[in-house]
Amino acid sequence: MRWQFVLHIIGALSACVGLTMLWPLMWAVWYGDPGVMPFIVSAIITVASGAALFFGFARSRKGVVSHREGMAIVALGWLAAGIFGGLPFLFADTFPTFIDCVFESLSGFTTTGASVMTDIEAAPRSILFWRSLTHWLGGMGIIVLSLAILPFLGVGGMQLYKAEVPGPVPDKLKPRIKDTAMVLWKVYLVFSVIETILLMFGGMDLFDALCHTFGTMATGGFSTKNVSVAAFDSAYIDYVITVFMLIAGINFSLHYLLLKGRPKVMLRDPEFRVFLGLFLIFCTVLTVSVYMANHYDTTADAVRFTSFQVASILTTTGFATADYELWPALCQGILLFCMFVGGCAGSTGGGMKVMRIMLLLKQSYQELFRLIHPRAVSKVKMGKTVVPDDVIRGVWGFFILWIGLFVLAAFVVASTGVDVVSSFAASLACIGNIGPGIGSVGPTDNYAHLPELAKASLTLCMVLGRLEIYTVIILFVPEFWRK
Amino acid sequence: MRIIIVGAGEVGFHISRRLAVENKEVIVIDRSADALKRVAEATDVKTIKGSGSSPGVLQEAGVKGADILLAVTDSDEINILSCYFANQLSKDITKLARIRHRDYTDYANLVREGAIGIKKIINPDQEVVDSILRLMSVPGAVEINEFAQGKIRLIGVNLPPDSPVIGTKLLNLRDRIGDVPVVIAAIVRDDELIIPSGVDEIRKGDVVYFACDIRDQDDIIDRLGIKYEPIKKVMIVGGGNIGYQLAKALDNKHFHTRLLDNDPERCQYLSEQLDRPIILQGDGTDQEVLREENIGDMDMVIAVTGDEETNILTCLLAKSLGARSTTTRINNFAYMPLIDPIGIDHLVCPRLSAINSLLHFIRRGQVISTASIKADEAEVLEAIAQEKSDVVGKPIMELDFPRGSLVLCFQRGHDVIIPRGDTVIEPGDRLVILSARNNISKVEKALDAKMEFI
Repeated sequence: MRWQFVLHIIGALSACVGLTMLWPLMWAVWYGDPGVMPFIVSAIITVASGAALFFGFARSRKGVVSHREGMAIVALGWLAAGIFGGLPFLFADTFPTFIDCVFESLSGFTTTGASVMTDIEAAPRSILFWRSLTHWLGGMGIIVLSLAILPFLGVGGMQLYKAEVPGPVPDKLKPRIKDTAMVLWKVYLVFSVIETILLMFGGMDLFDALCHTFGTMATGGFSTKNVSVAAFDSAYIDYVITVFMLIAGINFSLHYLLLKGRPKVMLRDPEFRVFLGLFLIFCTVLTVSVYMANHYDTTADAVRFTSFQVASILTTTGFATADYELWPALCQGILLFCMFVGGCAGSTGGGMKVMRIMLLLKQSYQELFRLIHPRAVSKVKMGKTVVPDDVIRGVWGFFILWIGLFVLAAFVVASTGVDVVSSFAASLACIGNIGPGIGSVGPTDNYAHLPELAKASLTLCMVLGRLEIYTVIILFVPEFWRK
Repeated sequence: MRIIIVGAGEVGFHISRRLAVENKEVIVIDRSADALKRVAEATDVKTIKGSGSSPGVLQEAGVKGADILLAVTDSDEINILSCYFANQLSKDITKLARIRHRDYTDYANLVREGAIGIKKIINPDQEVVDSILRLMSVPGAVEINEFAQGKIRLIGVNLPPDSPVIGTKLLNLRDRIGDVPVVIAAIVRDDELIIPSGVDEIRKGDVVYFACDIRDQDDIIDRLGIKYEPIKKVMIVGGGNIGYQLAKALDNKHFHTRLLDNDPERCQYLSEQLDRPIILQGDGTDQEVLREENIGDMDMVIAVTGDEETNILTCLLAKSLGARSTTTRINNFAYMPLIDPIGIDHLVCPRLSAINSLLHFIRRGQVISTASIKADEAEVLEAIAQEKSDVVGKPIMELDFPRGSLVLCFQRGHDVIIPRGDTVIEPGDRLVILSARNNISKVEKALDAKMEFI
């Protein structure tokens, strides 16, 4: 493990993050809001410290990134991005404590969307834009972005890529990792531009359209309004966001192939079919259930609000147009289940991922099958492809760690005096990168009232969830540090 | 006429013997001196020791003046290479190769065209798979042969005891089952083949062979009162090339397939390639395994391992445990007559089908294909009626055909015609003729279609 090399790369990543602060700075100048100075200072500090690390350890750059170094770079790089990203909030006095700033910043980067901001509309617009921008950067991944734009990361970039991209087996779309990263960002950019334009057609101004696009495409969930998307009260906007949340919850490799003119690959993809199937089934059940409970006067309304909430929770976005805590218990149960499932592998969504749930179920069926046919030789398959045993083992390990950490974090939150439902919901909503939970962290509430220890552990949960456990947890394993 | 045969294995051996008997100049190439010795002792052929893929050896065999090259070694690659060099050395030679692996058969046009230019690919494994699938498509059938590129079928079936045609004279057949275009070609009764005339009667326990247009097949089977449950549960023993291709063909929701193989690694491969079939690892002759997987409940047990003793034993075990029907693969021709007496329902033999395909192709006179039924007692010929032939222009009942031979049906254009006594054959009709073995030469004479060679 070459520490200097790790810090060298992290320096480059941080400098990149610092440069992105110039975009909210432009909004600050445009609107003349109090965000100008905080962004100038934050950008200078971030770029300067990044450059210091980068050039200070420039001599260490040789050889390829090893497996361990890759994970250390990604995990610590994200932490650095979270801390630097919290600086504008600190200097603008948005939050009372530094923990809050980092919570908000990492909630952005990890596309969780859990907020400690009590009155969103009172904050400067540049600060709101920064919140949404962190979503967008973190959605496709800051490492993937760096791989696309930093030429020197090409060699050994696969280690970094694997450590950040969600899903059990990352797809390599192009022979070179740099081109793969580039392609993914291009697809991401194309969908973002389309959504922004569609939202502007629905009556949003450019600022709101951009912020909500960032929140949608990254499956983040930060809004510029106190009551989230409900503030616009437009069926058109609801449906546009619903569709784009679903798009963001689908594997971007499939989108790439779709744009390349191979839609059949998507239609035949088993994970995509299950994802869409789950969405449709849940929507139907919720619509019927909500309609029978007389929450909405018309079926159209019931469809509009349930589909939005299901898409929002299933893709782990976290936008809200309705308070699902008022809905029948069955609806809440289903939404809770959606929080566990999450989006598809290779999407910007969080949760455990549809692919993993499918693999776990298939593997469990295999065990039953082998009890009936003791001599059978069988393999777990996704579509026509055989899933190697080590991937299955990885998924089992992931599942156990995910559940274990979720429960552990819930205990820590509960230990600070939060009620048990809210503790579990907050922990789940953070490790699954969803945002709103139930109880005192429901869709109409926020995380501001939680004690500092709870916020700190939830922040860690968000990073664990976004980097899919292994990359982060490995730093806590003593074996990792042995030479 | 000079024919070069590359590979003196079972296929090479038998085909060289058949060709040498017919007075052809046959040269056999093989790397094994023992194999060559066996050929040389049994037949009047020239043998050359060496690799068939070597241009030098091919030249030594006189590839320049030869008419046909048969590449029939066990290796697809050697066969292809040998055809390639033959093509380079002598452009006009007709090349036939035995190619079994999917890597090549899936891209058949690549080996047919261009620098390799193989005229016909013989894929005996595929033919065996096709014939098993054909058998499965008609439950209760004992034998199915196809003619006129699959348009006409000759099907042998066990008649159930409650069939409406039992006790009917063939003259009155249409009164019993209605006016469907079908002809009863042969009846097997007490292990004896009868080529019937109108006064013969169908009895209980008969195996009836009938010929028909493939499109009428299901209707006729229905009218004959044959109501066997369709085959659903299949156990394949042996996951080699044939077992794999078969399981692949049955890899859909209509079948519950089990595929048993002994080799753990092969099982791994099979389970990766196949979706629905259940892959089992175990020995086909191990009763425990077969019982555990309910072999007695199977509609068909197909034993296609490379070892015929294992195949036969598996089938016998399956039969004794109650399986509905069994099919075994045989390599050694000597075992063939045994299969029926010991109670195995069907046999398939890749080598025999390779030899038949090769011979059919080489004997491209007016006789297009032949197939034997009931262990060679009778043969079915497929031939095109020539303009100058005696059979053309006369009603069928006036033909000078020997007793025990009959025109089953013919294809005219796209139609399949089941002839009556007054039907007149026209030039260009594709005739399907059944004849007892001892009358074949007379039939050929009547057709004026001696087995001419290319």
